[in-house]
Amino acid sequence: MIKKIAIIAEHDQGKVNPIIYELLAMAKKIQGMEECHITLFVIGDKIDRLSRRLSHDTGHDVRAVSVPGLLAYNGSLYKKILSTQFSQSHFDYICAPHSTSGMDYAPALSVGICASCVTGVEDVFVEDGKICFARSMFGGKLSAIFGKGEAPLVLTMQPGSFKPFFPDTAKPGAVTPMVYEGNENQMIFTGAKASPCKGSELDKAEVIVSGGRGIGEEENYKYIEMMAGLFPRSAPGASRPICDYGWVKYSRQVGMTGAVASPKLYIACGISGASQHLGGIMGSRFIVAINTDPDAPVFLVADVCIVEDAVEFIRLFVENVKKGRASGWDGV
Amino acid sequence: MKILVCVKHVMDSESKIRINDSGTWVEHLSSTRFEMNPFDAYAIEEALRIKERFSESCIHVITVGRDDAQETLRRALGMGADEGIHIVDNRTGYRPPSLAASWIASWAKNKGYGLILTGIMSSDEMNAQTGPMIAEMLSIPFCSAVISEKISDDKKMVSVERETEGGARDMFDIELPSVLTIQTGINLPRYPALSKVLRAKKKELEIIDSSVFDKNATGVALQRIRCPEKKRKGIFLDGTRQEKVDQLIDILKKKALLQ
Repeated sequence: MIKKIAIIAEHDQGKVNPIIYELLAMAKKIQGMEECHITLFVIGDKIDRLSRRLSHDTGHDVRAVSVPGLLAYNGSLYKKILSTQFSQSHFDYICAPHSTSGMDYAPALSVGICASCVTGVEDVFVEDGKICFARSMFGGKLSAIFGKGEAPLVLTMQPGSFKPFFPDTAKPGAVTPMVYEGNENQMIFTGAKASPCKGSELDKAEVIVSGGRGIGEEENYKYIEMMAGLFPRSAPGASRPICDYGWVKYSRQVGMTGAVASPKLYIACGISGASQHLGGIMGSRFIVAINTDPDAPVFLVADVCIVEDAVEFIRLFVENVKKGRASGWDGV
Repeated sequence: MKILVCVKHVMDSESKIRINDSGTWVEHLSSTRFEMNPFDAYAIEEALRIKERFSESCIHVITVGRDDAQETLRRALGMGADEGIHIVDNRTGYRPPSLAASWIASWAKNKGYGLILTGIMSSDEMNAQTGPMIAEMLSIPFCSAVISEKISDDKKMVSVERETEGGARDMFDIELPSVLTIQTGINLPRYPALSKVLRAKKKELEIIDSSVFDKNATGVALQRIRCPEKKRKGIFLDGTRQEKVDQLIDILKKKALLQ
């Protein structure tokens, strides 16, 4: 029997979030294991054009649930609409991005439709005849492998885990428009605030030097700034915990809830590398990581791994670069 | 207002991780330390701040876990929570979040909680599922990644800001009762006060054996755990600190990243 995959397409201001192509890559991998039909779901206001475009660009069928007046993501509404959709028609896999909205509605949705749920999926493969999904645990130090059972599976995919796949689109899929007319009064959207990272120097920087908990104390952040200062067009960054501690402003934060950086060089100092942080740096061309813990997950994504105390290492590095420059790099 | 805070007793994130012989879960060594899930500390702190505003509030903390999970409950009591509830489950392996959520939901049903709080995720399994699942099981609204909350004076509604990509925020008015999962940085969790710690030590906890609840977990099953695969072919630098500095300078100069 042909299985069915649903993909929830996120969109913002009339544009589809390109993460859809990573979800399609994951779906294609599942298709290589069992025969599957893919359907895309779009929820929002005035989504006719977007849905047609999506069916053209991907070649897949699109179900477009129009919600008049829906201005922004609303977890309660998404959960209700998707629960109705998937109670009415059975899908074996329901795939969403592990975004701040996907991780919000997916677990509740799985309960609502008696499905199981795996969040933050990084890989899919067959093992012992079972379709298995891998995800990080323990701050990325371990990977856990889950086997799919009979029940439908709601999953969220960790951004950056699959190479985007752009399907051959000889024939557009069919668009099925629907209108949601229910009322939502349990949860009402009242407005939005812009990101503190918008327009920050992290966006334009070619080199980013970031500090994390491993720098030990607030005062040591100056070494991060000092190291960044050695490179032209550079900016100092930070991991979330040290922003939470109040050591550094949130506008310096790199990661899923901060700036998503893609500099030429990223230097992570005293950052263990939780998936939320790594998700924000994978676009970097070259990554150097300095951490005392040789098992730190940041070393899994680094090009150069240095097991050292970050502050001590930076001090020596800065001193050596300054000396080297003063002498025209003689003997270094 | 009655507030329920769901907390988890987890392996200290600095502890050495070792996979057990059967490859099915982590092994707890004698050196392994445990702590309150750091994310949950923000949920407790937020509950305490609500109680400062609505002094008639009472804060219950609940955990699902082995006998030693009581340490985390006692820490919460030491921070200022009023009562502790322990659903005892002495399994050493993986407990799916849907199971913990269903037990907490069964317990919380009809107990009159106006607000249920928990951390955005646990630092060990990082599923971020338990909170939203509890809400759905209780048929009440929820909001995850809450970075600011204000309960209305009539306690019928909570205005929240939830964090989205890049640290932007969406604002909502949500009907109470509801479940909020709390994002880090919303507050600075306090340390337990000595006077409260002494009282917390003697405080009687409500102990419930998990066998009274349904044990059926849903379809997806943990097969095994493994060390993660390297995503880039990174090299580890060898030698003394000075030698590593020299090597790094050399690499960066060759790549024209340093002049």
